[in-house]
Amino acid sequence: MNDPAAQRALNTGWLLLAVYLPLGLTLEALHALKVQVYFGSELRRELWTLAHAHGTLLGILCLVFASLGDRAVADTSRRARVSSLLRSGAILMPLGFLFGGILNYEGDPSLAILLVPFGGVLLATALLLAARSAPRN
Amino acid sequence: MRPLVVIALSLAAPLFVCLALGFGNDPIALQSSRPWLHREGGFVGAENCRACHLDHYASWRATFHATMTQLPQPEVVRGHFDGIAVPCDGGAVVPLARAGRFLMVVPAAAGKTREAEVALVVGSRRYQQYFERQVRGDGSALIRLPILWHILAQRWLPLDTVFLEPDRDEVDSHAATWNDSCILCHNTGPEPRLADPRDPVSASRFDSRVAELGIACESCHGPAAEHGRVRRDPLARYREHLGVSVAAAAVLPTHLEQERAIGVCGQCHGARLPQPLHRIRAWLTTGPTYRPGDLLSEHVTPITAATPVLGNTDPAAFALRFWSDGTPRLTAYEYQGIKQSACYLRGAMTCSSCHSMHAGDPRGQMRPDIQGNATCTQCHEQIARDLTGHTHHVESSAGSSCVECHMPRIVYGVTELHRSHRIDSPDAEREALSGRPHACTLCHVDRSPLWAGEQLRTLWGDRFRVPAARRDRAPIDLPDAIASLHAGDAAARAVYAAAIGRPTATFAEGAAAPLRAHLAVAMGDGYPMVRWLAQRSLASLEERRPSGLSPLLAGIDHTSGEGSRRLAVEGLLDFLATDGKNRMPVPMVGMLMNGDCRLQLGLVIRLTNLQSRNLISIGE
Repeated sequence: MNDPAAQRALNTGWLLLAVYLPLGLTLEALHALKVQVYFGSELRRELWTLAHAHGTLLGILCLVFASLGDRAVADTSRRARVSSLLRSGAILMPLGFLFGGILNYEGDPSLAILLVPFGGVLLATALLLAARSAPRN
Repeated sequence: MRPLVVIALSLAAPLFVCLALGFGNDPIALQSSRPWLHREGGFVGAENCRACHLDHYASWRATFHATMTQLPQPEVVRGHFDGIAVPCDGGAVVPLARAGRFLMVVPAAAGKTREAEVALVVGSRRYQQYFERQVRGDGSALIRLPILWHILAQRWLPLDTVFLEPDRDEVDSHAATWNDSCILCHNTGPEPRLADPRDPVSASRFDSRVAELGIACESCHGPAAEHGRVRRDPLARYREHLGVSVAAAAVLPTHLEQERAIGVCGQCHGARLPQPLHRIRAWLTTGPTYRPGDLLSEHVTPITAATPVLGNTDPAAFALRFWSDGTPRLTAYEYQGIKQSACYLRGAMTCSSCHSMHAGDPRGQMRPDIQGNATCTQCHEQIARDLTGHTHHVESSAGSSCVECHMPRIVYGVTELHRSHRIDSPDAEREALSGRPHACTLCHVDRSPLWAGEQLRTLWGDRFRVPAARRDRAPIDLPDAIASLHAGDAAARAVYAAAIGRPTATFAEGAAAPLRAHLAVAMGDGYPMVRWLAQRSLASLEERRPSGLSPLLAGIDHTSGEGSRRLAVEGLLDFLATDGKNRMPVPMVGMLMNGDCRLQLGLVIRLTNLQSRNLISIGE
């Protein structure tokens, strides 16, 4: 792969899958073993489930971008920007859910949850840029 | 794709969600709109609390508080409405289900019957009581139906056989009105709304409402409308999380100072009268005025043995709810017990020192982080360091359990004996003179108050004196359990009828046959609940060491008529004196039983003649 933007997206994608697929397995194990401390906070369970789901899906999105990005965004510099925004958003959003469930309050996540909207904005911007750069038939 | 289409597509999902929330199923609005419920006085209901307090909501839902009062949905009703008649006070009541409705065919005037439909279910742990709505003019009243379902025993029981009172033959003797009694403690934000408290004609006509059926968040944390309104703003919540500012905080009973803290539980677990008494009108219209965090004493006067009963034919009715030394002997008086305890008076104890409303086993709601003796040794550390030095009992025995001696089971309520919440030390002389059951002889059921007094004096010092006489005038050297079972008043008889069969009860081999025989005699008692407890204890003794009585026991019903009860008791005593004696150790002396396993009935009758003539009627 010669395109550095695609290469970075590929790396990020695998990285995210490497982190968040085992997280999913861990959560399932905690469920299976009925670990009380895990069931102690319903909000934490929800946040970590969201971290697993977002991390995995955004990892797959990065892999898709790595393989199809040159067709979706023809311009190299713009592709590099989309890749950067996508990677940042894909890392920050699940991280916000994950850390939001650590030291969380009963009804509210910890302040790390602020990473989620920040990551969301980066992802939305990447999507917008990619959509605007898409070749029109 | 055109930009407008893209924008429309990206707005579609958010719009859909907003529309679904606006027009779709809204459980909170649905609950609030029920005719029973009101949202006045700042109450919002537990479903609103759930959004932020997921875990506390879940732990509360698991408690018996949450399901204390419910509508008669099929998944709620535990009774077997199977159309089989239940004998009740000389007649019969037939519980039956029809098209999702729960009905009881009950006796009516002139020998006829009528169908009563269950409108409300009260009770969640031990038994469920059922109420019908009776329309009265433009109001109504919810009236208790004559049989209840005992959840633990899995059977129907007539109401007058579960309360501590003598046999009756009036089917509607317990037709209590929910609107002016049960509503006050078994619900959240109760408003009885009596039609007109000054008009005697409308004295039993209500339009009652509650903020929530059952005992929910706002019962203990106070009305939450303002708390919820402020905390809808996430910035306000995080300011509080980070300790920057706290506005409209909910009441946390564990954070209140001692007097206010015990008032939260005491508002229901402390039988009381309005203070001043004329507030009764407000109670019967807009409900009790106490709110969590208030000083309970500014709203109510807790009932004590000295509280006079106004307008009642029995001016001592309240006194009978206490042992003669002022210790409560009925549940829902835990507040009074605590306030008599040194742990409260000289220590920092509150209800939450031992109990937790959001953790642990819902039965008893004891704190899971301090189990057993740790509840006491969290303060009494020096005793924990040398437990047996203090208890003079083997460490693993019940005698080394703090509560067995300092909180004995001498409080009656809901077909069970509960621990006294007047935490104090046993004193054989004090208890013999007051008639209050003594902790030592509740376990050592073959021992006398005389023995207990000598043991206390020998092991714990000269401050204890050996009793010379009993309040009921039974011989002081007779085993306390036997003397109380026959000569005590109904509450004492119930306490010892339950104690003899408890796993903690300990007695010599030679006491096995006499204790069975005395329990058999108690199964002919004039109080159905004494009979129920005696039969349960006898079954428990048989389970641990069979003598062959079990088949006979299984055929006896404590609710049956006097004639069949007499036959049953005679049958049990005959069995013990014939087949049973071959399977039991030789009876020890001093237990009112001959060597041939026949009771000395003359002496037993002399004891029963000492019974107090006070008719106890405890409707709890």
